[in-house]
Amino acid sequence: MKKLEKRSLICILIAAVLLAGVGLFVFRFVKHGGEWATFYGNQQIYTDGLLNRGTITDRNDELLLDCTEDGIRYSDNYNTRVATVHAVGDPKGNIATGAINVFRGQLIGYDIVNGTYDTSSEGKKIKLTIDAKANVTAYNALGSRTGTVGVMNWKTGEIVCMVSTPTFDPAGSLPSDTGSSYYFNNFLSGTMTPGSTFKLITSAAVIDTLDDRGSFEYHCDGVNKIGKDKLTDVSAHGTVDFRLALAQSCNGAFGELTRRVGPDTMKKYVDKLGLTKPVIVNGVETAEGSFDFPDDNEVKLSWAGIGQADDQVNPCAMMVYMGAIANGGKAVEPSLIKSATFLKDITGGKSKGRYLNEDTADELRSMMKNNVKKNYGAGNYPGLDLYAKSGTAEVGDRSDAWFVGFIDNEDAPYAFVVWVKDGGFGSQVAGPIARTVLNNLIEK
Amino acid sequence: MEVVLERILNIAQTYPEVAKHCTTLLRWVFVVLAIYILLTSIMSLLRTRTTPVVNGYFLVEDGGNFPITHWENVIGRSKTSDITIPLKTVSKTQAILLKWKDDKWMFKDLGSHNGTTVNGVRLEPNKKYLIHFGDEIIMGGVHCTLAPASLEESANNRLMRSDDREPVAPWKILLAITLFQALTIVQLIIAMGTDVSFGALFSIALLSVTMWVYVTVFKAAGRKGFEMEMIAFFMSTINLAIAASSNPEGAFKQLVAIWIGIGLMIFMCIYMRDLDRTKKIRPILIGLSVLLLIFNLIFGTMSYGAANWVRIGGMSFQPSELVKLAFICVGAGTLEELFEKRNTYMYAIFSVFCLGCLALMGDFGTALIFFATYLVVSFLRSGDFSRLMLTGVGALVMGLLVLRFKPYIADRFATWGHAWEDPDNGGFQQTRTMSFGSGGGLLGHGAGNGSMKNLFASDTDLVFGFVMEEWGLIIALLIVICLVTLCMFAVLSIVAGRSTFYTIGACGAATMMLIQTMLNIFGSVDLFPLTGVTFPFVSTGGTSMMASWAMLAYFKAADMRKNASLAVYKED
Repeated sequence: MKKLEKRSLICILIAAVLLAGVGLFVFRFVKHGGEWATFYGNQQIYTDGLLNRGTITDRNDELLLDCTEDGIRYSDNYNTRVATVHAVGDPKGNIATGAINVFRGQLIGYDIVNGTYDTSSEGKKIKLTIDAKANVTAYNALGSRTGTVGVMNWKTGEIVCMVSTPTFDPAGSLPSDTGSSYYFNNFLSGTMTPGSTFKLITSAAVIDTLDDRGSFEYHCDGVNKIGKDKLTDVSAHGTVDFRLALAQSCNGAFGELTRRVGPDTMKKYVDKLGLTKPVIVNGVETAEGSFDFPDDNEVKLSWAGIGQADDQVNPCAMMVYMGAIANGGKAVEPSLIKSATFLKDITGGKSKGRYLNEDTADELRSMMKNNVKKNYGAGNYPGLDLYAKSGTAEVGDRSDAWFVGFIDNEDAPYAFVVWVKDGGFGSQVAGPIARTVLNNLIEK
Repeated sequence: MEVVLERILNIAQTYPEVAKHCTTLLRWVFVVLAIYILLTSIMSLLRTRTTPVVNGYFLVEDGGNFPITHWENVIGRSKTSDITIPLKTVSKTQAILLKWKDDKWMFKDLGSHNGTTVNGVRLEPNKKYLIHFGDEIIMGGVHCTLAPASLEESANNRLMRSDDREPVAPWKILLAITLFQALTIVQLIIAMGTDVSFGALFSIALLSVTMWVYVTVFKAAGRKGFEMEMIAFFMSTINLAIAASSNPEGAFKQLVAIWIGIGLMIFMCIYMRDLDRTKKIRPILIGLSVLLLIFNLIFGTMSYGAANWVRIGGMSFQPSELVKLAFICVGAGTLEELFEKRNTYMYAIFSVFCLGCLALMGDFGTALIFFATYLVVSFLRSGDFSRLMLTGVGALVMGLLVLRFKPYIADRFATWGHAWEDPDNGGFQQTRTMSFGSGGGLLGHGAGNGSMKNLFASDTDLVFGFVMEEWGLIIALLIVICLVTLCMFAVLSIVAGRSTFYTIGACGAATMMLIQTMLNIFGSVDLFPLTGVTFPFVSTGGTSMMASWAMLAYFKAADMRKNASLAVYKED
């Protein structure tokens, strides 16, 4: 019998193996339980592969999406559906950054104690920061063109308008190709040639590094030869100083300024102004911009300094930069989910740190106001305390229209970005879209 | 009862919000009750420190007095002998001393080098002799003798045994399980409304009655230990709740299986009280098993890759589940038998036969359980580790050959560890188990609320996921711990064990249950290839449930606490 006592250790060994395996499983359960539970095969929360619980509304509680066991239901209004689909997401989850995809965790409400058991009896709700009406206005203003409109409150970071075209009706038949451009949110996932809007970045570098910018002068003959190459302008601007160069968007002058600032400083500024890193919007990462400022090619460097060459910028990152200028140099992190507390309205949104010092921001602000006065015409933007910069990006034979900036109205501190693919001249095409959307937002 | 249930149904349907809050709260209550029920039982089982019964003394010249606490004792030079005589003239295992009926003793020389004489007569090796108290036994020149325990010592021993910690009284646990069962019925009504049948709910109530009758009857008969039964009744409750949730019509059948299982267990317990008759029944068990397996091979119905089912008149059953019971009994042997080659060969041949039949049926999960149990039991019998390893390696080679010829099993190995990479084909069942299971969190969704029930095999092979989803991870883990506790109990019981037959039986049964649990859980959560075996007590399936209950008899037979077990003759 004594012998058996020792031999029986083998039974303990088997029990230990069982416990070790179960222990490993529990470890994985704790670590991956959230992923496992939100897997599309889980019929607690999916019916036929569609989420079966939770609702998504806009900031004014307008219903955008209702997931039930009988299927999912979008807004009854066609325009609302097509204008908000990139924010809300499509039933199949093809829009990578759609709320139904990226905020699925909140809709499901997984936690380790309750799993996916819904302790509330009315189901989970996500309130987005976007205003469905403003989205519809932006969608209508874009018309049939490809483009994007983004507006955020530069104090709180709340994105109040986010539209991307081409778009589609999520309640109708979905585009079959999952890689289709219909599923692409230009605002969060796109990067494009910024054109002259980039001069706001070059300007920031100039203000910080060239102390003699007050005496800067450039004679623009419309051709602006650099050696054998040219830095063409639409017309001959004549002699311009720094402020006028921005207001008239003089390529020749900004080419010269870029060369003076130098490639290293330019590199430093695109990093500093948050254009080369993804912007985080409630955990969703935007596309990151990319730039090339060569130190052995003055011509290419000059083109890069005026937003052409290899420059690629993400619209959301550009909008955040506009917000930073408006906010005295401090950038605020944008958000798409409306927080339940009012704290944000008082204290402002989550800071992304200081992009610019206050003096630089003020000078840029003043120059952007000057742009409106001298070029776009304040009379074209009645009721809006507008600060802006237009751009016309040359991409092959195509001209993409840009209009970026912010307004400083008391109850409407909005930064915006408008991009219209193949739209033509920036201020003439993108400007009115911005005006329409901003007015719609202010009317509320 | 029907009126009460209808009343609950009405309330639940009139006030769905209230019902929902009830479930939210009940989930906590279930966990608390389960912790109380299972931990109380587990603690009581593991605190067992039984003072062995002293049957007599073995006196060794210049070597002292050895109290004889087992029915079977090895005498020899080796330190692991029960009676150690550290002299070179004594063989490592010299002889065995066995308790016969009515205080009579047998002595057997195991072919020792220098032989043994009793009262001057040289014993023939490997032959049993009746000896009496006071006989002069000479082994390798050492004089020894057997002495009875004096009356005073016997009284003293009895006193010490009565000082042992008593098994926990079953009443509070019974009440807790009853409350658990009542709330389960309420929860099932809230969750399923009219989808759950009256029969299913009534089955749970009947299980409650069964439990009270069982405990009352055997308590009245003077038995004290009920922890294992409490654990089994608890797991059976979970089983009925799962049946009520996934297939309400099948719940009553499940209850009948529990009844048959309990009956079988009681029969086995009482039968095994007498070791001699238990030994004698083994050839019959072998014969029956062989017939059952052959019958299965001929009339077996193919079901999902394995022909391990037999259908008779609308009832289907799995013969291999019943063979498990015989397999333990045949593998267990008395100390005397462990030294007999014939007995060892018999067991080996029987094992090969069983494995062969299971392989032919294509039931590799069960074959694996039998094989692992064979390895462990062989090791317990011989202590030969190298042979254990050799057999293991041999089996591994065989296993690889199987993989080569059975492509669908090879596929399962290919999926193993990569379930999430192919969640809709090879990893379908595993990913669903993990997904639904993690969706249950720590507390579960409440009985009847699960979604996994719509999945094939969710109440059998994937039942671990089912338990996690409806009852939560905590209860699922507690059930695992209960099975581990049974194993620990089997090992702890060896100290006071009577015969190696009972201890090997308990350890073998423990091994079988643990391996089966391991294959079930690990297979369903992608820690091992999915083999499709049932979880003891918890999976639905009649034969599996009967075998689980009957298997308890082996643990009961090893329970030497004073008057605890109904598988042991009562003491005064």
